[in-house]
Amino acid sequence: MADDEHTDDAARTDGTGIVPPDDETPTWRERKERTTGLSRLTYEYFERSRREDQDLREESDYVERDVLAFPVWPHELIRNLALTSFFVGMIFFLASTLPPHLGAPANPSQTPSIILPDWYLYWSFGLLKLGPLNPDLAILGGEKLMADRTYGVVANLVVVGFIAIVPFLNKGSARRPVEQPFWASVGVMGVVFAVTISALSMKNLVPLDSSLLFDLTFLVPPIAGAITYAVLKTMREGYMYDLNRRYYKLRPPK
Amino acid sequence: MSVERKDDHDHDAWLEEKDLTPIEHTFLATLVWLDKRLRLVDYLELLETLYYRVNLQMPKSHTEQYNLDNKFWYWYPLYSLGFFSTLAYVVAAISGALLGFYYSPSAAAGAVDIEGATVAYSTVATIMTDLNFGFFLRSLHRWAAQVMTAAVFLHMLRVYFTGAYKEPREVNWIIGIVLLSLTMVFGYTGYLLPWDQLAFWAGQIGVEMSLSIPLIGEWVAQLVFGGFSPGQPTLQRMYIFHVFLLPFVVTTVIAIHLGLVWMQGIAEPH
Repeated sequence: MADDEHTDDAARTDGTGIVPPDDETPTWRERKERTTGLSRLTYEYFERSRREDQDLREESDYVERDVLAFPVWPHELIRNLALTSFFVGMIFFLASTLPPHLGAPANPSQTPSIILPDWYLYWSFGLLKLGPLNPDLAILGGEKLMADRTYGVVANLVVVGFIAIVPFLNKGSARRPVEQPFWASVGVMGVVFAVTISALSMKNLVPLDSSLLFDLTFLVPPIAGAITYAVLKTMREGYMYDLNRRYYKLRPPK
Repeated sequence: MSVERKDDHDHDAWLEEKDLTPIEHTFLATLVWLDKRLRLVDYLELLETLYYRVNLQMPKSHTEQYNLDNKFWYWYPLYSLGFFSTLAYVVAAISGALLGFYYSPSAAAGAVDIEGATVAYSTVATIMTDLNFGFFLRSLHRWAAQVMTAAVFLHMLRVYFTGAYKEPREVNWIIGIVLLSLTMVFGYTGYLLPWDQLAFWAGQIGVEMSLSIPLIGEWVAQLVFGGFSPGQPTLQRMYIFHVFLLPFVVTTVIAIHLGLVWMQGIAEPH
């Protein structure tokens, strides 16, 4: 082996040991085609996906639906900069006109009558108060499987977990709410539930009987969702009507 | 024949044979002199490239292509919410760094003549009353945080209702949920720092929430709040979360989120 390497003096004349390419030297494409195993699979997949991309581009008559994405630069970024610089100005305006309040210093021996987190945690705070929904099992002799507090924490996890798996439940190319009335109404139900559960979280401040409020918290969101569903279905009928009306080209009047 | 190599780049000889007017000659000689020393040609090329870039015709956007701008322009603010929350984050970071120069996370008795005031509370009071622009600075920090949280929530709703989370953007949706949660943790830890009544009892709620986690509740309460009732360790830990841990983590996750948006492109309205 060592002898073989020493006989090939031409390759090392420049001292680097790099062989200049000649007709026998494989191109990068040939090298990739010759690979085996995982690198071969990778090569084949990339070739396929490149070809797919090219075919789609060539076959497309460029209707809206074929477009998956647009570059961030330039339109999106320029438009965002223009709009958000105004919004940042609004932050400064709010900050100078509505400065925050600094309450009395912390006093562990005096519990205030109203304890609330910041507004964006109301929904989570409300989910901690779902005790009445915690089932008590007859098998356990009327005892609850989980403590009410644990139940609240689990409710938080369930809500966040459901939101996280939405992309894996709702597939397809539908984008607008009219195209997917069900998922749009699920969204509206979620938003309304966020509002009602926030109201529940501060039930001592809401001028409603607390059991009525508790029932409304769970009744109002499905109603809102159902109304949204009906409205979107109706709107879709209207869209389809417009589409069908224009679908056939009519013979012009004589 | 001369042994000396012929100089192909003898600019002086080239200048002589060009037969120029004095103005042209002076200009070119100066240019050559400067270029030899400062490599002006590189910078001129840069300028030239810039010039052509600036004067390029912009490609048509999706909405221009289909003449949808007249129907869509009023949605654009909702499409800018993601970028807006990033900017609000930057505003909060800058104002927060300035506030950090004057704030001290200590639950020891403070110097201000207020009954039961701690050092943390009195530094906030000092920022608000004695520091030049301090009142505005705290206000700005607070409003930037509030607006950022609101913008993040609305951004999520926009993405949901326009179906922008669908394939191939599922991973970015999940990263977005992580960011939303981290934003709320950011807000919560900051809410506790002034150590007023609201902060103390919000801390109490936090301790109770972590205690109600099954199996690991007590361990979590001790790790995050440093005990089972709010006190000096709680304040210290919230401070470190707010000014050290979360800034690094959230900035990194925002960078990944934006990087994915850049790589995957904008899902424009259909």
